[in-house]
Amino acid sequence: MTAPDAARKYDLGFARWVRDNVDGGDKLSMCMQCGVCSGSCPIGTQMDYGPRKLFMMIRAGMKEEVMTSNTMWSCTSCYRCVVRCPRGVPVTYILQDLAAKSVELGYANPNDNTRFSKSFWWSAKTWGRTDERLVTARYYFSFGLKEGMRRSLDNLKIAYCMIKAGRMHLGMPHKVKDKKGLQAILKKAAEIEQRESGS
Amino acid sequence: MAAKGKAGTKFTFYPGCSSQGSSLHLDESIRAVAPEIGLELEELDDWNCCGASVGRIGGGQLPNMTLTGRNLAKAQGQGKQDVVTACAACYLNTHGGNEKIKKDVKLRAGVNEALAEADLSYDDDLQVRHMCEVIVNDIGVDKIKSRVKNPLKGLKVAGYVGCQTVRPFAGTDDGGKYDTYEDPNFLDDFAEACGAEAVEFDVKTNCCGGSVAVMSPERTLHLIKRIVEAAVEAGADVISTPCPLCQTNVEMYQDAINKKYGTNHQIPVVFYSQLMAVAFGMDAKKDAALHRNTIRSEKLEAMAKK
Repeated sequence: MTAPDAARKYDLGFARWVRDNVDGGDKLSMCMQCGVCSGSCPIGTQMDYGPRKLFMMIRAGMKEEVMTSNTMWSCTSCYRCVVRCPRGVPVTYILQDLAAKSVELGYANPNDNTRFSKSFWWSAKTWGRTDERLVTARYYFSFGLKEGMRRSLDNLKIAYCMIKAGRMHLGMPHKVKDKKGLQAILKKAAEIEQRESGS
Repeated sequence: MAAKGKAGTKFTFYPGCSSQGSSLHLDESIRAVAPEIGLELEELDDWNCCGASVGRIGGGQLPNMTLTGRNLAKAQGQGKQDVVTACAACYLNTHGGNEKIKKDVKLRAGVNEALAEADLSYDDDLQVRHMCEVIVNDIGVDKIKSRVKNPLKGLKVAGYVGCQTVRPFAGTDDGGKYDTYEDPNFLDDFAEACGAEAVEFDVKTNCCGGSVAVMSPERTLHLIKRIVEAAVEAGADVISTPCPLCQTNVEMYQDAINKKYGTNHQIPVVFYSQLMAVAFGMDAKKDAALHRNTIRSEKLEAMAKK
């Protein structure tokens, strides 16, 4: 619900929280609502709200609407808004961190990006490297067996061409030599993050 | 920064995961042309994934940053030379992560506490750079020209720069120090140094959809369509790009575009380094890796040394 509501008071609590907790959020106060970001966005028309509107909603304290919107999840990380913003607001970085925070705080429902991210991280932490085949397959089948099969079949020709060109190998995933060390590092990093967020 | 055109400039080379998969042809052609233009590349020992654009969501901030920390710790063990990568995502994460780790004391402490699990640490002041920036600033286009034995005469090239190679660090000391954000010309300069003709290409910094094109192609096909059609309208024989994801997306989704829009596009998308390898008179397969393009350019292959 984003229709103007005259009875609703601006709640600065959320804007302050964004300022203090979101990467680049301290620059949000620079936004002058010019809309260059939204106008420059390659798939801004597919967003629930463009970045300009989202930033105003943050100021208005519309936490629920902001955190559950698809805006952050639609960002392709092209950085066009970053280079064009006349006020130096790091739009892409803010959206990326809002996306992460919406997962951490339990606002985000599973979507293409969260599913893909999960599958991607599985490969990074298991092998230390991205195995494009397995990341894609795990992502496809995260939608269930039927949908996984459908997506796999849809992309069969691409897979065949990639295998033929030697750009998709058959066999075990490529991996780091020190897999044990890498996994210990990532486990520790997750523990530290947990510890810091609890304090 | 090393002196321009200095021969034998040594770098720690971070190939990134796509170098072993979808962008094998970028890796092969970069390794082939590097010594020709005076770049000595020493591979980063036991490198790992950079985290790309989704690692932060999948793994959390510190674990994702620690991936970069591990690579930097490994690089530190190899010396003070600059780290270079040819992958846009690796550059974005590793350069960005490096600057953050250097400046943010708390973050550095966290990364190092985690790295200690494998007896690693990062406390150096390394520089992480993009291969194209190194070629522009350290090597120079004249050096490319001087190596050309087989000019790509008559080949029309649309230089497609994409997003993450030039844009992410706008507003920082490291942003755009080798070209402009909206109208970068370095790819055109590379193509022309190789004897090819760079065509006017006004969508050179349009987005291909990035990882969204991988996960939700239906949302981004129209973006790739525009890039392909602009190249075709400009009369290009090939699209040239520095970015692994741009290369793969723009190449592999042409079939889906043709199906959805009733078009019939088949334009090859190659890496700038593949053009260089052909122009340097190097081997079509071993060095230029032309057989790895799923849409092949007959015109370019006819020019290449077999």
